[in-house]
Amino acid sequence: MSASSKLLGGLVTVSILASPAVAGQIEPRLVPLTDARTARLEQWLKAVFHHRPGEADAAANMVASWSSPDMRALDHDEFALVQLMRHGDSVGPQFEFPNPPGKPILERYPPDRYRRIEVLACAAGGYVPGGAWRAGEKLPLLCEHVEAAVALDTELKQLAAAVYAGRMKGDHDDYILRRGALLQADVALLPSRPGTPLPVTAAPSLGAAVSLSISDGEGVMHNATAAIHLAFARSLLDQIVPPTEDGVDPKRDAMVRQWYVTTAAWMQQTQQYMTNHLAKARVMFPNDPHILFLSGCERETYATPAMQSAVRSASLPTGVDFEVGSDQSELRAAEGFFRDALVVKKDFPETRLHLGHVLLLRGRAADAVIELQQATTMFTDDQQLYYAELFAGAAFEATGQFDQARMAYARAAELVPAAQSPRLALSALDRKRGDRAAALSALRDVFALPVVDPSGDDPWWLYAMTQARNADALLADLRRPFLEQTP
Amino acid sequence: MIRRFCLHACVVSTSLALAVCTAAAAPSGSSQFTSKVDAVRVDVLAADNGRPILGLGPGDFEILDNGIPQQVELVSFDQIPLNVILALDMSASVSGDRLESLRNAGRGLVDGLAKSDQAGLITFSQRVRLGSALTGDASQMRYALDHATGTGSTSLIDGVYAALALGDSDAGRALVIVFSDGLDTSSWLTAQSVVEAAKRSDAVVYGVTVQSREKPEFMRDLTNATAGRLYEVEKTANLRSIFLGILEEFRHRYVVSYAPRGVTADGWHTLQVRLKGRKATVKARPGYFAGN
Repeated sequence: MSASSKLLGGLVTVSILASPAVAGQIEPRLVPLTDARTARLEQWLKAVFHHRPGEADAAANMVASWSSPDMRALDHDEFALVQLMRHGDSVGPQFEFPNPPGKPILERYPPDRYRRIEVLACAAGGYVPGGAWRAGEKLPLLCEHVEAAVALDTELKQLAAAVYAGRMKGDHDDYILRRGALLQADVALLPSRPGTPLPVTAAPSLGAAVSLSISDGEGVMHNATAAIHLAFARSLLDQIVPPTEDGVDPKRDAMVRQWYVTTAAWMQQTQQYMTNHLAKARVMFPNDPHILFLSGCERETYATPAMQSAVRSASLPTGVDFEVGSDQSELRAAEGFFRDALVVKKDFPETRLHLGHVLLLRGRAADAVIELQQATTMFTDDQQLYYAELFAGAAFEATGQFDQARMAYARAAELVPAAQSPRLALSALDRKRGDRAAALSALRDVFALPVVDPSGDDPWWLYAMTQARNADALLADLRRPFLEQTP
Repeated sequence: MIRRFCLHACVVSTSLALAVCTAAAAPSGSSQFTSKVDAVRVDVLAADNGRPILGLGPGDFEILDNGIPQQVELVSFDQIPLNVILALDMSASVSGDRLESLRNAGRGLVDGLAKSDQAGLITFSQRVRLGSALTGDASQMRYALDHATGTGSTSLIDGVYAALALGDSDAGRALVIVFSDGLDTSSWLTAQSVVEAAKRSDAVVYGVTVQSREKPEFMRDLTNATAGRLYEVEKTANLRSIFLGILEEFRHRYVVSYAPRGVTADGWHTLQVRLKGRKATVKARPGYFAGN
């Protein structure tokens, strides 16, 4: 278990982000395209080019410093840029920007600064004459007039060359979209500055996001920008043209799927929860067992007492809803996701484990026993087996099968000798059966346990993150191809 | 300012210390108590306008066990040594002034004990620890309090269970004082199971929590079930006076004993305790479990 998954001194930070939708419009709005705004688009393109995935480098830190309004403007400008990149003169200067779940937003770019967007689109599409451009290849009409030597600096020329090289390898013009998504995920999720606590009466502006930090089950609200960066990342990937396709179809793209699974796991590893992130993943990949599994784990966590009490105790600004239901409704949702995952992938013992736990919490101990017993036959990982035995013990106890319960708890205790939970369970079981001497003896075993890792000796304390214990490996796999190409 | 939750104001309920765990003595198939070996001990606080009523004897008490009137045979007052178990939250949020107030409160409680009393210390973060087993050695308790530190999350429910079990480990009257400044975030045992365990134990539980938007339902259920009391405090600066107040109130309780007659031995027994011929607030457990 990596250090990042350990409980940090008892203070668990959980981000649950809710973003009120922006209302759509009918008449096109004139885009206030300032020099600063076009400069930001250019800076972002350069950040995408320079950013080393996985590092809080200068590029990531610069993007992280931009405000929510900056990011919303960038989202629109990037969309216009990609449209120009792909369709040249046939689009613009008026664009219809997607605005789910509301109506699209119509915006018109003023002509005086629109030219710069066109120039940047040519760089982002790799349509720059000179350099690595293949001799005799025809440029889009829009870019024929771009004088690279004058219009683009060295970095933008290098970006254009990298995009072109990617296209030659079969990745269409997705360079800035894929690498942009990696950059934005790093900005959102890499350890960063703590948010500023929100005053109780504050209401977020449209499209803003809030997060909930949890300490000892109490919730404290913060302003948060992680949601906006991830939303921008998702919108970048929405524009992907898969290598084997001719049109935009991110659902068929392996890297997009990998990105969603990896970022969802990463978020659960670091206990940052954003319901709409996995909701979007499910829309994109409805039959992916790992996305379904992580969706179930998210809801299972929402049902925990700590999460429930934090959401109840937080003072929510007007119009903000964390979309966390009651513990029973969340457990119902979790069960649904786990069962859907098992339909797609029957040999998924970890899903059975979590399903068994959820059934136990829903008061269906007999059903839980079935799932957990099946899971114990499939695990080779001692930690997962520990959970299965511990939960099976509780399920047996709930169904009155005390001897089986005792054996399951004892097996769990043997698997993890430093864990207190199975020994507490044995003590409580003895006490319930009237054997106070045995109960006290088992409790003394708890007191005598060695302290090897104060925050990790008992895997039960880390159960909420165990499904994401491979997040580091997933991140490495996702980033590797892009690291090889990073200048 | 202290907000005190008086869980049983003007409601008759019963607090029970079940002194005999000899269910095996009951003949198979019968489930009646045998008067020779079975006795039930009830821990009772009687008050008039908030002031403890002193000088009561067996004839002053009326007990109904499952609705059947019982003969009170013995009433003890301040004669049975106390086993005071402190169950203290040592999660990461208990630090600085709060930690020092807590230690100070513990030390004050230890200083307030009689020579025949014992004290023990359980601390809980995510890990449950035995700070000190039950001991009459005040210096041992002070040492344990001075070396308890806050780190990690909160296994309040697990910690309370350990305190209850420790309280049952000795024949004295068990008083468990639980302090927590947050909600449970890492226990394995469930709130329901530990409240059930409390109903089966002899201990009276007093709880002290720090006020928050979230109501401390577990602590309320626990103190209700054992006829203790729950304090919700805004600040922890006056914990010492609260702990000493708990000790003083507990010393003013009676231990009322009777041998059950006319009731089955096993299962849950509802209890009602009243004072004969006078109006008073009587605080005691709502019932007890007999047998397994």
